[in-house]
Amino acid sequence: MQENYLAKWLNNELSEEELAAFKKSDEYASYQRIIATSDTLEAPDFDIENALEALRNKQSLDSTKVIRLKPFRRFLKVAAAVVVIMIGSYFYLNTLEETYTTQYTQNEEITLPDASKIILNADSEISFSAKKWDKKRKVTLNGEAFFKVAKGKKFTVDTDQGKVAVLGTQFNVENREGIFEVTCFEGLVSVTYKDKETKLPAGSSFMVIDGKIVPAEKPNTSMPSWINEESTFNSIPLKYVFDEFQRQHDITVQTQNIDLNKLFTGTFSNTDINLALQSISVPSQLKYTLEGNKVLFYAESVP
Amino acid sequence: MSKDTKDNVCNEEVYSQLFRANSKTVFNYIYYKFGNEEKAYDAVQEAFARLWENCSKVAPAKAKAYVYTIANNLYLNVLKAEKVRLKYADRVKTTEHVTPEYVMEENEFKKKLDTALDGLPENQRTTFLLNRIDGKKYAEIAAMEGVSVKAIEKRMHLALKSLREQIDGI
Repeated sequence: MQENYLAKWLNNELSEEELAAFKKSDEYASYQRIIATSDTLEAPDFDIENALEALRNKQSLDSTKVIRLKPFRRFLKVAAAVVVIMIGSYFYLNTLEETYTTQYTQNEEITLPDASKIILNADSEISFSAKKWDKKRKVTLNGEAFFKVAKGKKFTVDTDQGKVAVLGTQFNVENREGIFEVTCFEGLVSVTYKDKETKLPAGSSFMVIDGKIVPAEKPNTSMPSWINEESTFNSIPLKYVFDEFQRQHDITVQTQNIDLNKLFTGTFSNTDINLALQSISVPSQLKYTLEGNKVLFYAESVP
Repeated sequence: MSKDTKDNVCNEEVYSQLFRANSKTVFNYIYYKFGNEEKAYDAVQEAFARLWENCSKVAPAKAKAYVYTIANNLYLNVLKAEKVRLKYADRVKTTEHVTPEYVMEENEFKKKLDTALDGLPENQRTTFLLNRIDGKKYAEIAAMEGVSVKAIEKRMHLALKSLREQIDGI
């Protein structure tokens, strides 16, 4: 016999076999009689309409008597305001971007949510929305950074000078005053400058100096030289070389009798300031004096 | 709007309908539990008064469970079960060949059943009577009592078993 078979029997849920066995048992007659008699039982009288009437009378009495105080009103107002603020700030924070900034002489490596890497050169700033990263791979760059982009959806670097879009590759973007340079080391990079798109295959550069596109030397390395703590220049006006020098060595550069638009080709160290000063001054035929936090460059042969 | 008010317990018509459909069972439910008619009547009044006060917060579909809960909680710790004195219906078989012996024997049996019902634990008695007198399904009783259908089956089984043991004098 199954569990609770008496309950099942009353509900006609016994199998035929079980029912037959149950009917043969000694107790069956008793059970049947108990049920038959129980079913003639009645609960005390209850007049529904009378009770409803009584309830209504009581309610109308109550409603004239009761003055409801609402001590929670004020609390509810405050609570509602708090909820609104919380929801608002949640959405606001959701749209907020993460920003990384480097100071002079500083480099920083940033890992993005999809394991793409950005190495930020000195005095640069990058921002992106980590929350929306799955939907939109986009960073905004000010300064210079080297990108190792994991394969995936379109990856965009937004700068105030131009846009760089890739799928998965390694490239360097320099977005400094007067200079916009993109160098592709791997894969294919698309650069949009002044609404014109340029496809940049691996091992090539795109360079804009003072608003003019200039032919760029092909990189012969697999990553920008600054990753290895050197700054390399290929026919770059001296003023931008000095700018970079200031950023890498946190020093103030002053010049005297120098043509700042003279082109410079060469490399200087980002760690050894004396070596760097020589790397700049010797090929440019300049002299310099280093005084504390200031360096003065001047022409070698003052007339 | 008309749909809204029809769906609302605050609507007089909806409320009256709920009362007519459920008040008798609430009354019986409390009566079976505690065996006190007056308290059962008060429980109905109290439960439905509370329903009216909170009519805007209680969906019509939840109203039934709401009044049972209120009625049940009302006496939860206060009232000790009294003896249940159930009436018998007058429609006892008026078959032609009823001998006086038969009537006597029948009355005797009813007395025994009455005593046996009194002796049942409150929850078994309530379940048994809601099922036999009010014709409530196990699932409905389970919802009223806030337990599983299986628990109700168990109560039903145990109730019937001990009624028989009591009556048969085991």
